Amino acid sequence: MYKYLLQSVEGIQWFAITTLLLFFSTFCFAAIRAFFSNKEDMRRMAEMPLKD
Amino acid sequence: MSNIQQFQYDNKIVRAFGVASFVFGVVGMLVGLIIALQLLFPSLNLGPWLTFGRLRPLHTNAVIFAFVGNGLFMGIYYSLQRLLKARMWSDKLSWIHFWGWQVIIACAAVTLPMGLTTSGEYSELIWPLDILIALIWVVFGINMFGTILTRRENHLYVAIWFYIATWVTVAVLHIVRSFELPVTFTESYPLFSGVQEALVQWWYGHNAVAFFLTTPYLGMMYYFLPKAANRPVYSYRLSIVHFWALIFIYIWAGPHHLLYSTLPDWVQSLGTVFSIMLIAPSWGGMLNGLLTLRGAWDRVRQDPVLKFMVVAVTAYGMATFEGPMLSIKSVNAISHFTDWTIAHVHVGALGWNGFLTFGVLYWLWPRMYRTELYSKQLANVHFWIGTLGIIIYAVPLYWAGWTQALMWKEFTPEGTLAWGNFLDTVKQIIPMYAIRAFGGTMFFVGTLLGVYNLIKTAQQGTFLSNEPAEAPEREHRMELVPTDGHWHRWIEGRPIQMLLFSTILIAIGGIVQIIPMVFIENQVPKISTVKPYTPLELTGRDIYIREGCVGCHSQMIRPFRSETERYGEYSKSGEYIYDRPFLWGSKRTGPDLWREGGKYPDSWHYNHMYDPTTMSPGSIMPAYPHLLEDPLDLSGVPAKITALRTLGTPYPRDFEKYAVGNAEEQAQKVAKNLAEQGIKDQGMDKKEIVAIIAYLQRLGTDIKVQPAANQ
Repeated sequence: MYKYLLQSVEGIQWFAITTLLLFFSTFCFAAIRAFFSNKEDMRRMAEMPLKD
Repeated sequence: MSNIQQFQYDNKIVRAFGVASFVFGVVGMLVGLIIALQLLFPSLNLGPWLTFGRLRPLHTNAVIFAFVGNGLFMGIYYSLQRLLKARMWSDKLSWIHFWGWQVIIACAAVTLPMGLTTSGEYSELIWPLDILIALIWVVFGINMFGTILTRRENHLYVAIWFYIATWVTVAVLHIVRSFELPVTFTESYPLFSGVQEALVQWWYGHNAVAFFLTTPYLGMMYYFLPKAANRPVYSYRLSIVHFWALIFIYIWAGPHHLLYSTLPDWVQSLGTVFSIMLIAPSWGGMLNGLLTLRGAWDRVRQDPVLKFMVVAVTAYGMATFEGPMLSIKSVNAISHFTDWTIAHVHVGALGWNGFLTFGVLYWLWPRMYRTELYSKQLANVHFWIGTLGIIIYAVPLYWAGWTQALMWKEFTPEGTLAWGNFLDTVKQIIPMYAIRAFGGTMFFVGTLLGVYNLIKTAQQGTFLSNEPAEAPEREHRMELVPTDGHWHRWIEGRPIQMLLFSTILIAIGGIVQIIPMVFIENQVPKISTVKPYTPLELTGRDIYIREGCVGCHSQMIRPFRSETERYGEYSKSGEYIYDRPFLWGSKRTGPDLWREGGKYPDSWHYNHMYDPTTMSPGSIMPAYPHLLEDPLDLSGVPAKITALRTLGTPYPRDFEKYAVGNAEEQAQKVAKNLAEQGIKDQGMDKKEIVAIIAYLQRLGTDIKVQPAANQ
């Protein structure tokens, strides 16, 4: 499918696929680390607007 | 043990931006109301300065850059200081930023009605103002990063990440969109042409929505909603994912404005895919906002500030659900060029930006003036009249959009268009325009009540210019990997790294989409019969741009049977290679004009410009009698030819020396045609009308010419 979409540009598929993979890995990394982060730290940061 | 330091927050600059926001909000909405009424009563088009085509960009610019722009600066200047426990880095830069921004707005308010425009949506301002915007944006950046670097709080709260992403992305967008070659002090040609410029424009245009109307307001939501609800954000973890996913995905979505255009399929598909993906972070953010109010919904019933914020976040959710839907090609085939788009953007502008601005203003004013809100009841009236106004504004336009799309596409059993006369599809939606104008009036009245309430609040209170505060001195060094192992704390303490990561993420989308389009030659297949515009046509094109015709007429025939039947052969990207700027438009209040050339005699255009209703009874197009009177100015033609040749348009060498003579010759031919068709006014070849006729008669005709080899 992607080849059909991208066939008009030679070699462009690697451009786009690399980017999609990059996005996917960035997203997964951010999501996994965020959800396994320290609960107390999260709570402290969430309360920052209330302590000014 | 750190030393406790005493300092003061600068409230004066916050108030200044707040006042500018609601003043320009009133102005921008009033202009919006006027142009809504012009669609109902075309005689309200007071030409040449106050016609729909010239006022529409004034309305969009006033609302986006003056109302929302000042609103976001108000929110940033207030929250940044408090989240960083620091006064703005430089008061002087704060005020240069404030006054510089207001000067830009004032210049826009003068130049746009004068017809001085580049015609790119939301990037209409002329090149000297583009430079001024860049300078003022840099001043804002220096002040913001100066404050961040001299802060007393180590961690950067999520709102500040959104502010950083806003600053860097708007800077990149503005600079790339402003690549242009000046011709005179008020005119310039864009570096790119045709389909390439269209891609750059909508990469810019969509991300102006994303990074000017959305990310700073999300930052404000993450600060002011918890403040108003007096409880922390529902999930700080979710806000981290929300931020990184949103800024990465948003930058890709621009091509959804160009679906079914001549943009290559692969770029359209990337735009669609990322637009659909965008629903995830957008709704993550919306839910994070709404769930912040868990357990506090009883207060929403009583507190107008929370009411405004809840509707704002809900409108954000609605608009960001609708956006991805509109990016699906089959839905876009219906919605594009219709009033559905106008309804969609107003749910965002009135609901999300408008209501969040009012919510923040109602929260800020009593605090900065050390008093209570003058009238809670009046704020509630504002809330209800505004909410109903949004509904009464948007619903008729959704209805109008569907009606028009269905009428455009309807065929008779015999296979001809059921509504062959475009005007029939316009007349059908006039009642919906009337209801829309009523809804807009309600919203406007609500805004006036809000302004009155804020003025009275200010009058009964005492303004605190410099708010005393204290905080411990900042502990400068943070461990590279925090001992508690939380990675995000590392970046939260490092704004410059945050800036770099944000820049890399937003740059990837732009690079992948735009670089191949711009630099790979075969992306735009050439058509041998497509030639540059003649000097007279070029002059006519500039008049077309000056009058803002692009606000109502597209020049892009999509490859649908309903469009080829109505307008003619569908558009090819090779036809636009000499179009600087491209004029595809995004709304069809009138018909598409790309195959207008040769459709009607010159005299038809002459009469139509003088009074559109003589040729099209019931037309709502403004009359342009001044084009029949105003002298044709060809003095700028040689410079334009030279500039276009510099950019790659293949005008012959030294053509600029003969260009004026060439234009005069063609003008005489048009005048002769007019005379033969019964219009025998003296000196017609010296009037602007001949140039606009020459341009309109050229549109879309090049592919009808037989290539030389076949003749």
